[in-house]
Amino acid sequence: MLQCIFLLSDSGEVMLEKQLTGHRVDRSICAWFWDQADSFKSLPVIASPTHYLFQIVRDGITFLACTQVEMPPLMAIEFLCRVADVLSDYLGGLNEDLVKDNFIIVYELLDEMIDNGFPLTTEPNILREMIAPPNLVSKMLSVVTGNASNVSDTLPSGAGSCVPWRPTDPKYSSNEVYVDLVEEMDAIVNRDGELVKCEIYGEVQMSSQLTGFPDLTLSFANPSVLEDMRFHPCVRFRPWESHQVLSFVPPDGQFKLMSYRVKKLKNTPLYVKPQITSDSGTCRVSVLVGIRSDPGKTIESITLSFQLPHCVSSADLSSNHGTVTILSNKTCTWTIGRIPSDKTPCLSGTLALETGLERLHVYPTFKVGFKIMGIALSGLRIEKLDLKTIPPRLYKGFRAQTRAGEFDVRL
Amino acid sequence: MFNQFGSTAETLSKASAAVLRIGTDAHLYDDPEDVNIAPLLDSKFESEKCEALKRLLALIAQGFDVSNFFPQVVKNVASQSSEVKKLVYLYLLHYAEKRPNEALLSINYFQKDLGDPNPLVRAWALRTMAGIRLHVIAPLALAAVGKCARDPAVYVRKCAANALPKLHDLRLEEHAPAIEELVGILLNDHSPGVVGAAAAAFTSICPNNFSLIGKNYKKLCQILPDVEEWGQILLIGTLLRYVVARHGLVRESLMLSLHGLESNGFYEKDGLVGDKKDGDKSDSFDANLVSLVSKCYIEGPDEYLSRSNGVDTVAASFDSKETTSVGDNEDVKILLQCTSPLLWSNNSAVVLAAAGVQWIVAPLEDVKKIVKPLLFLLRSSTASKYVVLCNILVFAKAVPSLFAPHFEDFFICSSDAYQVKAHKLEMLSLIATTSSISSILREFEDYIKDPDRRFAADTVAAIGLCAKRLPEIPTACLNGLLALVRQESFAGDLELVDGEAGVLVQAVMSIQTIIERDPLSHEKVIIQLFRSLDSVKVAAARATIIWMVGVYCSLGHIIPRMLTTITKYLAWSFKSEASETKLQILNTAAKVLISAEVEDFQMLKKIVLYVLELGECDLNYDVRDRTRFLKKMLSYKLACHEPTEDSVASQENIAEHVVEHVFGRKLKPFSPLNLHNRFYLPGSLSQVVLHAAPGYEPLPKPCSFVVEEHDQLSDSGRQREAMSGLNGSQESSETVDEDGSSEYDSESYNGSDFSSDGDERNDANDAADPLIRFSDIAVSTDQEEPRSKRALDLCASYNNVPTLIPMEELSCLEPGQSAKRLIQVRFHHHLLPMRLSLHYNGKNVPVKLRPDLGYLVKPFSITIEEFLSTESRLPGMFEYTRRCTFTDHIKDTRMENGKDKFLTICESITLKVLSNSNLHLVSVDLPVASTLEDATGLRLRFSSKILSSEIPLLITITVQGKCNEDLNLTVKINCEETVFGLNLLNRIANFMVETSSSAS
Repeated sequence: MLQCIFLLSDSGEVMLEKQLTGHRVDRSICAWFWDQADSFKSLPVIASPTHYLFQIVRDGITFLACTQVEMPPLMAIEFLCRVADVLSDYLGGLNEDLVKDNFIIVYELLDEMIDNGFPLTTEPNILREMIAPPNLVSKMLSVVTGNASNVSDTLPSGAGSCVPWRPTDPKYSSNEVYVDLVEEMDAIVNRDGELVKCEIYGEVQMSSQLTGFPDLTLSFANPSVLEDMRFHPCVRFRPWESHQVLSFVPPDGQFKLMSYRVKKLKNTPLYVKPQITSDSGTCRVSVLVGIRSDPGKTIESITLSFQLPHCVSSADLSSNHGTVTILSNKTCTWTIGRIPSDKTPCLSGTLALETGLERLHVYPTFKVGFKIMGIALSGLRIEKLDLKTIPPRLYKGFRAQTRAGEFDVRL
Repeated sequence: MFNQFGSTAETLSKASAAVLRIGTDAHLYDDPEDVNIAPLLDSKFESEKCEALKRLLALIAQGFDVSNFFPQVVKNVASQSSEVKKLVYLYLLHYAEKRPNEALLSINYFQKDLGDPNPLVRAWALRTMAGIRLHVIAPLALAAVGKCARDPAVYVRKCAANALPKLHDLRLEEHAPAIEELVGILLNDHSPGVVGAAAAAFTSICPNNFSLIGKNYKKLCQILPDVEEWGQILLIGTLLRYVVARHGLVRESLMLSLHGLESNGFYEKDGLVGDKKDGDKSDSFDANLVSLVSKCYIEGPDEYLSRSNGVDTVAASFDSKETTSVGDNEDVKILLQCTSPLLWSNNSAVVLAAAGVQWIVAPLEDVKKIVKPLLFLLRSSTASKYVVLCNILVFAKAVPSLFAPHFEDFFICSSDAYQVKAHKLEMLSLIATTSSISSILREFEDYIKDPDRRFAADTVAAIGLCAKRLPEIPTACLNGLLALVRQESFAGDLELVDGEAGVLVQAVMSIQTIIERDPLSHEKVIIQLFRSLDSVKVAAARATIIWMVGVYCSLGHIIPRMLTTITKYLAWSFKSEASETKLQILNTAAKVLISAEVEDFQMLKKIVLYVLELGECDLNYDVRDRTRFLKKMLSYKLACHEPTEDSVASQENIAEHVVEHVFGRKLKPFSPLNLHNRFYLPGSLSQVVLHAAPGYEPLPKPCSFVVEEHDQLSDSGRQREAMSGLNGSQESSETVDEDGSSEYDSESYNGSDFSSDGDERNDANDAADPLIRFSDIAVSTDQEEPRSKRALDLCASYNNVPTLIPMEELSCLEPGQSAKRLIQVRFHHHLLPMRLSLHYNGKNVPVKLRPDLGYLVKPFSITIEEFLSTESRLPGMFEYTRRCTFTDHIKDTRMENGKDKFLTICESITLKVLSNSNLHLVSVDLPVASTLEDATGLRLRFSSKILSSEIPLLITITVQGKCNEDLNLTVKINCEETVFGLNLLNRIANFMVETSSSAS
């Protein structure tokens, strides 16, 4: 089991240490870790001379956990991810200052989330009831009175029930439940312009504010398109196995009900046509972006970013639509926004290669970003959402959106 | 010019940051010590205490030692404020071990809190109390955990389950049975949350106590989907281990597929292999590797080591008795049923654990259902992606066809981390099939142009691997690779671009691996490579090509004709080469000379001589050494004029043979599979770091866990075994089930009844109504009322190696009659009894025979100096002492006769010790006392070795007291095997106290 958790800032400073068992881990291990070569340091599981280290990096903060004995590494990693999720949820983001400013909350949370190296309470709903998240009121209160406890005196009612994700008997004057289909499109277009792989990773996100102990059933019109899926613990397996229906008692508030994957899509909404020619030390680049198949809704916040190869010494790029920025680490971002109706956005310009190089022999990969509101490109449709007992004043809502996930266009 | 604006902006941003930080604990973290903390801790205001504690925590967070505040902090444990309490607990847990004395002060408050009506307070108190790790309070903590394990609140019970490993961690032998009992109780809890935590406790406390699982197996399986995700991970593993230990591996599963194929015509109905027959042969699984994997899952480190040293015996030979099948085994069926929906879990660790169960247990045709869920995990965080890939790689190595249709999932996106890319490449090269290879190669072509050159080099290596796996495709690969070599070498000054050299070297290496398969058909490629020598600038690549010149110098028709030219070129460029290349040139020159044709021989000889001369005056040691070595070896060749000339002298003949052997050898085909690989259980840490992490346990030996017919009996028996000590005091039975079976218990074993003649003897006549008595190997009945017909059948079974030794049946045994049967027993472990079951009149009575510890050692003769030096090396935790009284000497008649009293005492002690255990008397220290009456200071030393492990064990007995009175003995044992040492110590202390009649 885990023996210790360290939180490291992006400069390698140990911001926080939490010893979990009697086997104390000296913080010198962090110094050792930080001094390793980059390729070794970025491994998620590291065998150091004294300990096994698990690490995840989230928003510049390294979560480092140590153990000396065999344990499932994925368990450690998943737990660290959960800690990072909970912290960023509590603190409204994650960065060095936020962690340092709220170190007491971080300590209190860690203490609740893990006991003797084994996860204890990781359900955000219950944690929120045990340790109040910092908010404006509590902050003001602490300024005025000098004291505002954020530790609850009583055990959350959900902690012991058979649905640990739900507080027992919340009361709302208006009952609302919203379902969002949030999809991400992963695609690879190879150097011949061929669509090698195109699939959708989607999540069914819900926001529920329902009184009492509601029992929901969500069914899809075409569940057969789903390739793989993973469910929130609240989803019952039996109804899905038999009828492909999601039956569950929802947590209170925002949560991810399920995630799914739809494979082998035929088309992407956008096309990106890059061209590059290099000759005698300079390259000419031109990239065209346009709509390939109209999804029926506007495609928004289109961006294109790529890393210039190391051998490029300077770049002069301009576009007929949107803005182009080149950062000092040779990352180039072209923000297009929406495709104008009158012209095809085009990025063009020249790259100067380092002296001694005639032609470019390595090529960048363009990462495409976009967002489409109101449509799920996978074609998945929600048929209906039923409640076993319908509370008074019930609002149900459905939304969908698609954005680009790992959308790579190789040059 | 815009200075003022700049400053405004700066102050604004500062101000906004300050606003954001108002009300947080920022100032406490930044300057924790800007006020004096000590008085705040003693303040009567909760808020000030709170602030002080926060400052202390800030200091802890920053790595300062603030344990000096401990006494003041401990006082605040009594605080009513939950926040202060929480902070105090945080502080306490951090420092309790450093300040044990002060930590004791807090115990009373914990005790009080444990009775609090608020479950949260109870849980906190329990967590902290168990967490402060003091041996002194362990009994208290254990009692508290016991109480909380029956608490009405689920949360408290969960914390109780979590507290058990903390107590177990203190290594208190005497509490081990109680802790295991609590684990059993909590595993039996009706709340899934508690069961999950109990499963975690089980894994870390007693992972092999399968009787605890056996009792609740069905219930645990049913509750599994409702258990919290973290508990699920460990519970899945535990259930799997139980099933393997109880029923063995499954015949239809992948693990035994090899076995199955041979034995019962399994091949035909095997869907997996059958399905893929239409495709290509390489699709079916690698039977050798699969059996290796399954072997690895089960074998411990010792077996692994013996396997890698000795001859390889891959073919797993599982006894058919040790297997089971899904069809007729309910337990296996349930396990598969309850774990398969978990493949949909949101937690990737659960998915992987569930996949591991399916992988090991599921029938071959069902294994493919783990594929999609595993692939879906690749869409999670980078860190989990890496771990999942590490595991998928093993699956794919064993059964490439599982993943072959999903090759697209392993295509690389630009945002992947380098390690993930490398693993994906390896996957692609493993699962490529003739149908998918064209798409994969097209992808590879893209990757070669990636700006990350290390990744590009890996891609080139992967192409080589693909070509090696699929003999049909090399031509396409070769052309691409050759083009790459040409392009890379013309790409300009390679020194400019780092990593480029790596790609080139890999390209040459990949070409080499392809050529190796069938050099003759690739003659043209070899020639092309030779031609490109001039443009290839990277030393390692050049060296490889030059090496190929040597290896293939007699291949085909064209190459031998080119040799003179190539050798000339090499001689010409020798001076400007790197030493790595120079060494290869020398080797190649030697090989060329040996295989030279008649017409070229003179020319080549000249060139080789020239190269050797150059080499002799090289700056590099290695090159010079290699040159001298070659010159000596080739001397016979260089001296003669014709290549075929027969040398007369036999010595030269030998030289020729040696040279032939060193240089003329043909390349051996590369063995495709490294059989010394070791695999670890899927999902384990060891599989990721590729060595056995401490605490890694392979699957238990199939069918090593045998449930006895009297289930409850075996449970209580097991708990008894766990108790250390052979003193045989009748501890109260601590069976979990109230409907215990105490009458069997007391009958089964009574260790104190050793007879002193030194034979292994254990009587089972302690019960109120003794029925049948075993003495040694003799079975006798001393039953009062006569019974007419009795059948006696004796079976022995070891705990781990269950063997049923059928004994000859005694047809009838009259009262008072005794019968003798001999069994030779070698005890594996001093705590494990031999189990006998006694059948008579249709009844079945289990009996356990325990060995006398005193005879599990053998005398070890050493000198007193060696004794003392060994003793000094075994201090601290290896040393145990116990006191006891000794009275035998008083009765000794010689005492009165005026004999030397010390001698008499020595004699009687030695007699007692040696008649009860197998020791060697090393020395006797006589006391230097003022009176002859005072025996204080008399010291006897004995030495021995443990039979099973040959570990030395030293015993020192020190006497205190007057000669004519009871003596106080201090028995001290030094031994590395602490458990054995402790038990033997108890045994010695016990027999020393007994007054024996034989002394008189």
